[in-house]
Amino acid sequence: MSDTPNLNIAVVGGGPGGYAAAFLAADLGMKVTLIDRELNPGGVCLYRGCIPSKALLHIAKLIEESRHAKNWGVEFAEPNIDLARLRSFKEGVVTKLTGGLGQLSKQRKVQYIQGSASFENSNTLRVAKADGTEVSLSFDRIILATGSRPAVIPTLKLDTPRMMDSTGALNLSDIPKTLLVIGGGYIGLELGSVYAALGTRVSVVEMLPGLLPGADRDLVLPLQKKLEKSFEAILLNTTVSSVKEEANGIRVTFEGADVKEREKVFDKVLVSVGRKPNSEIAGLDKTQVKVGPKGFIQVNKQLQTDDPAIYAIGDVVGEPMLAHKASHEGRTAVEAIAGHKVAFEPAAIPAVVFTDPEIAWAGLTETQAKNENREVKVAKFPWAASGRAMTIDRIEGATKIIFDPKTERVLGVGIVGAGAGELIAEGVLAIEMAAVARDVALTIHPHPTLSETVMESAEVFFGTSTHIYRPKRG
Amino acid sequence: MTEFKLPELGENISQGDLVRLMISPGSSITEGQPVMELETDKAVVEVPSSVSGTVKEIRVKEGEKIKVGQVIFTLDNGASVKAPAAAAPKAEPVAAPPAPAETPKTAPPPAAAAPAASRPAAASGATEFKLPELGENVTQGDLVRLMIAPGAQVSEGQPVMELETDKAVVEVPSSVNGTVKEILVKQGQKVKVGQVIFTLEGASAAAEKPKPAPVEHTSGQQGARLAFQAAIAAEGKTEEQALPPDQPAPAPATFSMPQQLDKVAGSEHREPVPAGPDVRRFARELGIDIHNVKGTGPGGRISKDDIKAYTKSVVTAAATASAAPARGALPAQSPLPDFSKWGGVERVSMRGVRRKTAEHLWEAWNTIPHVTQHDKADITELEQLRAKFAPKAEEAGGKMTVTAIALKVCASALKIFPQFNASIDMAKEEIIYKQYINVGVAVDTDRGLLVPVIRDVDKKNIVELAAEMSQISKKARDKKLTLADLEGGTFTITNLGGIGGTAFTPIVNHPEVAILGMSRSSIEPVWVDGKFEPRKVLPLSLSYDHRLIDGADAARFLRWIAEAFEQPFLLSVQG
Repeated sequence: MSDTPNLNIAVVGGGPGGYAAAFLAADLGMKVTLIDRELNPGGVCLYRGCIPSKALLHIAKLIEESRHAKNWGVEFAEPNIDLARLRSFKEGVVTKLTGGLGQLSKQRKVQYIQGSASFENSNTLRVAKADGTEVSLSFDRIILATGSRPAVIPTLKLDTPRMMDSTGALNLSDIPKTLLVIGGGYIGLELGSVYAALGTRVSVVEMLPGLLPGADRDLVLPLQKKLEKSFEAILLNTTVSSVKEEANGIRVTFEGADVKEREKVFDKVLVSVGRKPNSEIAGLDKTQVKVGPKGFIQVNKQLQTDDPAIYAIGDVVGEPMLAHKASHEGRTAVEAIAGHKVAFEPAAIPAVVFTDPEIAWAGLTETQAKNENREVKVAKFPWAASGRAMTIDRIEGATKIIFDPKTERVLGVGIVGAGAGELIAEGVLAIEMAAVARDVALTIHPHPTLSETVMESAEVFFGTSTHIYRPKRG
Repeated sequence: MTEFKLPELGENISQGDLVRLMISPGSSITEGQPVMELETDKAVVEVPSSVSGTVKEIRVKEGEKIKVGQVIFTLDNGASVKAPAAAAPKAEPVAAPPAPAETPKTAPPPAAAAPAASRPAAASGATEFKLPELGENVTQGDLVRLMIAPGAQVSEGQPVMELETDKAVVEVPSSVNGTVKEILVKQGQKVKVGQVIFTLEGASAAAEKPKPAPVEHTSGQQGARLAFQAAIAAEGKTEEQALPPDQPAPAPATFSMPQQLDKVAGSEHREPVPAGPDVRRFARELGIDIHNVKGTGPGGRISKDDIKAYTKSVVTAAATASAAPARGALPAQSPLPDFSKWGGVERVSMRGVRRKTAEHLWEAWNTIPHVTQHDKADITELEQLRAKFAPKAEEAGGKMTVTAIALKVCASALKIFPQFNASIDMAKEEIIYKQYINVGVAVDTDRGLLVPVIRDVDKKNIVELAAEMSQISKKARDKKLTLADLEGGTFTITNLGGIGGTAFTPIVNHPEVAILGMSRSSIEPVWVDGKFEPRKVLPLSLSYDHRLIDGADAARFLRWIAEAFEQPFLLSVQG
């Protein structure tokens, strides 16, 4: 587009959505200012989210496997954990990645300002810089990528290091003897797994009847079985009615029909009950931006807010609050600003829970199909029939594909098992490309790998899977 | 296969003219969505669908006459509409004739079984399904997944659940046939061998099951009818007669048009289309709504070529629409200003006669290079004759009006000047001369302009024409005109003399090539034999299609008409 080089845009928030938007805008020839509180771009994802948690989960997996190796005739001594070095490995990863993003900003001539922004009007931001000075800057377009923060339940708020949110848990200041995780969502289970591997006795409390609400139950079950062994307790249908700090920990009171022990003391408590959008931006009332009832900024399919000069992307515009969704939105918003006819209309946004086993899904879930009363055909391949799963001694996994019975199109994919997060990418591609069962079944997959389970699921659809005998009925 | 037939449209309406189809093969429709515009003799109405699904084949064409009960289109995935009230919450494959491929064929539900209410579960002999023996030393398992729901049909051998035992995850097949009534276990629960998993509905209940389908169907028709009546109401207050008098006026709420339009316009909650991201982007760049594109790939996958083909068809359709008589393709207009800035406004949808008039005249104006020729006829003598023969016409049930006389005059003129009784076929580069003379007469009704046609005008005398004129005008005002009454004209007369005016420029009624306008006659001084005489003079305005008719011919034609008015004897000599 001929007019884009003259555009002067600002991106507020340097997370995976914000920096992806800023970089693409610069690549398209726009003049870009990226504003974030941190020293470098990265946002929650890099500083206190996806990246540090994955570094820790990798270590947790190693510890678990080393214990498990006993079954294979290899016995290790219990690990000696040097918490300071462990932390510095994690922090090193974060510093390297965020520093790299800082470099990329410079190379693209993106003006990076460390500070916080507020609106003076639809086109003007007042930026309070980290060095104490303030500037007022005007732009043609502004992209809000302010992200989200851990949700807080007021009754469960205690001002003590024993009460942590995900940020505090990732800091890993110590390895508590006991830990209660409030909330059985993916953040709680991932961080709970890390602490459990490091030796903490972890309990999880969830008010709903199952862990990981939203995921298909048959995918959750193998994980739940595993966690029942590695966690001290999984309390479902249970709420926490109060928390009180005492000399030796936090006294927690539980409520619910299934509660056996009404009170218990934990060394530490991690509250992971979801995240809230950061839509309380100073001066937003001076623009036409509208915020919906759940606190999300309202946008159209081009990510444009009700104020034509302002776009918004990522966690602050809605669920799912995932980095890869934010990046895609960021790029879509920039292309829209550049005058391209684009829309944020993905066929599938993958979700991954990085526990062990991992759970990943994309597109239509079986639960969703059932709720919508929608006729689907589910083809499932249990990993017990996979040679590769056998060699790594992880046969609890399963791969399933949800098909449209009429067109045989892939509508959804769900995977539980080691490395499910990597495997799901093929499912996303199949959904986006509108692949039909035959396409997946006839694509040669490398042997012996877990990726074969995707191909064999499609074969199950036809009743001709090589490694399981389940003839098609009717 | 499900079909959509033209529903009952109202009292005394047995057919209509298909004005516009709003669907095409492959488009998916939902109940209540308007699928076509039908012109009945009462009004143009939108007919809503009573079925949901994907259109397979369309059995009618635009311009065709369609009778109530005639099949309009067939559906691919023939699910007739979910019953509004009756059906169970989990809708199993409704008793639609050809079951979807994957429905187990082993044991169809007891078809027309005798009403054997006394024998429960006669079909399979079982009323419940218990967890069978699963193998040696296996006494229980965790229920991972239920594959059935209450109301679902199960047949022997069909897997009903996934159970995780100590050994493996297994699919448990049903050993019974029938309809699931109640499920007694939950996912995640431990289930023991011998434990009841679900109960079956009795055979009598199963036998009655298929019944709701026809009921649903009629209720769908009923819904369509209600919506139709609402549509008539929306046409304007003049259509009350279309509704049986004892029928309560349909609440506008039942007519869900705006919502449906929303669905079309907005893009919320739409299924992902079977097309890759690159193809979807390509469609967006072309400004094509990819949801309208039919894919030719496996599973209906849409390729870039499909998009190109669709774009081409849209462009061609638009081109023919502007070139040939096709409806519904009004030109894009430049954006209107916000009129409410300057005061209050009311927006009223342009429906029925008004919209048709707008479309038709826009088309005529854009197709025909118009010229209007003005002349005056001295009708002093004619007026005397008119007064003299008026009783004769009255006897015949008519009124000896200037229009009635003009009909006869024009018929004679058209015989002498056949190029005024013709049409142009530009595509074939031909002139079509018509060997019949049917003259349309513009009638001003409270619904707007209507042009009923009087047939074979050249073969009728003025008294007959006067009588026919009176009848047809009355018919028009009483909304009793049939489509046949409006078709087949070769020339049109429009008389505004009753209202006033000295001249105007009528628009040719395409595909005709000329129209005669008449204004109010008045007494004027006319130079006769060396002095002014008061004469009654009738202003005439002839608009014509300059592609076919030259100015001189038009002047001659109109002069001939003027002279015929002046000397009616001409009619018997030349006409």
